[in-house]
Amino acid sequence: MNHLRSKFIVAGLIMTACLSYLVFAGVQGGWVYYVDVDDFTQGIEYHDQRVRLCGKVADEDVTVKPAQLSAVFPLLGNTTQVNVVYHGIVPDLFKPGSEVVVEGKLDEQGIFQATILLTKCASKYTGDHTERMEEKS
Amino acid sequence: MIDQIGTYSLSLAILTAGIGLLATIMAYRFESQRALGWARVWLLGNALLITAACGVLMTAIMQNDFANVYVASYSEIALPWGYKIASFWAGQAGSLLLWAWLLVAMTAVLIWQQRKLQGKEVAATLAIMAFVNSFFAAILLFAANPFTTQAIVPADGHGLNPMLQDPGMIAHPPTMFVGYAGFTIPFAMLIGALAAGRRDDLWIANTRRWLLFSWLFLTIGILLGAQWAYIELGWGGYWAWDPVENASLLPWLTGTALLHSIMVQQARHTFRFWNACLIAITFLRCIFGTYLTRSGVIQSVHTFPESSIGQFFLGFLAVCIIITVVMIIWRRDHLKAQQPLTGLCNREGALLLTNVLLLIITGATLVGTIYPLISDLFTGKTISVGPPFYNKVILPMALLLLTLMAIGPALQYGVSDARRVAKKLRLPVAIAVIALILALILGLREPWSMACVTISALAIANVFNDLITVWFRNIRASNGNAFAVLFRQFDDNHRRYGGQFVHLGMILIMIGVAGSSLFNEKTTAQLKRGEQTTFAGYTMLLQDLHEVRNANFTAVQAIVKLTNPDGSVRTLRPEVRFYDKSEQPNTHVALKSNLKRDLYVTLAGWEQDGDLVALQAIINPLVVWIWIGGIAMTLGALFSMLPKLLAHRTQDVPQTGSTVPLVTDA
Repeated sequence: MNHLRSKFIVAGLIMTACLSYLVFAGVQGGWVYYVDVDDFTQGIEYHDQRVRLCGKVADEDVTVKPAQLSAVFPLLGNTTQVNVVYHGIVPDLFKPGSEVVVEGKLDEQGIFQATILLTKCASKYTGDHTERMEEKS
Repeated sequence: MIDQIGTYSLSLAILTAGIGLLATIMAYRFESQRALGWARVWLLGNALLITAACGVLMTAIMQNDFANVYVASYSEIALPWGYKIASFWAGQAGSLLLWAWLLVAMTAVLIWQQRKLQGKEVAATLAIMAFVNSFFAAILLFAANPFTTQAIVPADGHGLNPMLQDPGMIAHPPTMFVGYAGFTIPFAMLIGALAAGRRDDLWIANTRRWLLFSWLFLTIGILLGAQWAYIELGWGGYWAWDPVENASLLPWLTGTALLHSIMVQQARHTFRFWNACLIAITFLRCIFGTYLTRSGVIQSVHTFPESSIGQFFLGFLAVCIIITVVMIIWRRDHLKAQQPLTGLCNREGALLLTNVLLLIITGATLVGTIYPLISDLFTGKTISVGPPFYNKVILPMALLLLTLMAIGPALQYGVSDARRVAKKLRLPVAIAVIALILALILGLREPWSMACVTISALAIANVFNDLITVWFRNIRASNGNAFAVLFRQFDDNHRRYGGQFVHLGMILIMIGVAGSSLFNEKTTAQLKRGEQTTFAGYTMLLQDLHEVRNANFTAVQAIVKLTNPDGSVRTLRPEVRFYDKSEQPNTHVALKSNLKRDLYVTLAGWEQDGDLVALQAIINPLVVWIWIGGIAMTLGALFSMLPKLLAHRTQDVPQTGSTVPLVTDA
């Protein structure tokens, strides 16, 4: 019985070790800082690595070239902003004033080169369309 | 007017569920049959009231009653009636009402199932159901009332989110909610068994049926969601490790672990404590997932309004955890195993490993999902982990798990005998090695895909090896018609062969996932009218770009003449839809699917005058096997739930005096 128990303990330890390594490796390879625009502009440590940046697309100066598969826009925080150039398929929900998350890196010119652009599907579970409808009616 | 009936129904529903709860507590405390009878009546009344509320909401939607805020937000006059039904659960309040209805419906079924039973166990089980039902009625009335009205009635509703206007979306949410709601019953039964102080394992049989039922629906729901994302979102994938997706995967993983370890409890009377914890965790995961995704604590592409819903669910979660912990500690002596584990080279050992692996995967998924919260707590910086994290951590674990699954049929309960297992595995392993060599000859070099080929060959060979060995043994033993014997073999072992069919489905899903994630190719092309591009053997010629008008949207559609590698020609029509009631365009994919690969073409954009058009094309090899595997899993699970077909005909079958019982390996 004791022999069996020690076997189980050894097996358990090996598995725990493997798991710890996997999680460690996974976090090393897969993590990115997730910051908002204000934290990003103020934190120099974010400027030389890939980050995930959330903010609001400006209402003006937004250039979308769908056929060229690119979008150029300022991403706003509360006080600061970052100029973003995105290359790729522009999502359906992207528009001036929308909340987006971009992932990419700052280049030498201080422009954020994004390779991922995620929009939040804003209307799925929000129920408050009443204002707009009242305006219509 | 009609909306007031809805609100009244909800108020009365809280009252009836509350009285039902009190009656069940009385029935438990005093072992009173009369109180239990009354509890049943009140709970059935509660079910009727929630049903009435659902009827009211559905009527309001169908009648275009835009005085109702919910109807005005999610429906419109021009919406086809199928999508009007879907708008019932398109929003927060409606989806919670659906969940509540499923709960009361299941409570009613449970009451019917246990109509002849009396005593403490039934009372405690119903008490939990009554408690959960009152919670949902309360949340509907106080935090997410679908019957709120507005004074100024708009002429038309806001319409259903275009992304939800897809056949898959009609079915996906209800199936998920059947799964979520269904996991409540096993939890209630667990608390019932603990409260009554049961020391046997008989109660787990009925619990297992409910678990399998809920698990099946959750499986179908997750796959429908994946397919919806694939077809509707236009990025060419089906799973993004988004928190909302993870929230549905967590109870699925623990539910899967549970279905395996319950078999051990039934066969060997062990794993009792483990199963009790798993039943509770699976239920709590459903609630936790709902809290996580609807409270706004985790950023997700699915956004939910920041409402008081989150606090309600958090409070409910806390109460449920306290109930569970108290009950399990109170009855810890009853949860001790009768037979200790004897080794790892038998079925219970393998199932234990399966459970451990599933829980590790669950843990890693959970850590990844709430990593932004954890990192914010400890470092003050929010760090999110993306798909690379999950791929690195979960992929090796999943392959290990599938290997274990492949070996499974060769293992037996009881004796832990490595040599015997090795002997049984000789042929399947040989076949797996041959498959690997063939794959290498055919030019496969990618390590993950080589692992997948080996595991699939091993799993398939092992299932058939086991099936055929037992079949031949049975034919020899019975001298009957070979096919009749095979039929009997299946019929005597629904669980075993249903389970193996589910495993084969899982293997097909693995093949689909591996093929589509390891070997996908993507290209984008800018074309003028009459220009063509070649990609992976396909030639795409842009013929035209034009507008098409439909019931509630206008679409910009590209006409693409596709020449397949074999020379056959067909037309693809990728389009972008502009729904009348939505400000956002909605991409509609053109998909050409066969068993080998999917060609997935989206209209990515165009210049104002339509002269230059951008198309994106993705080749997703083998992706269709994911959906085929899902169907196989569904059929397997259904088969294992089926009652025995030839239950009492053993004596009637004219088998020329053969009274030798059929040999089975189960």
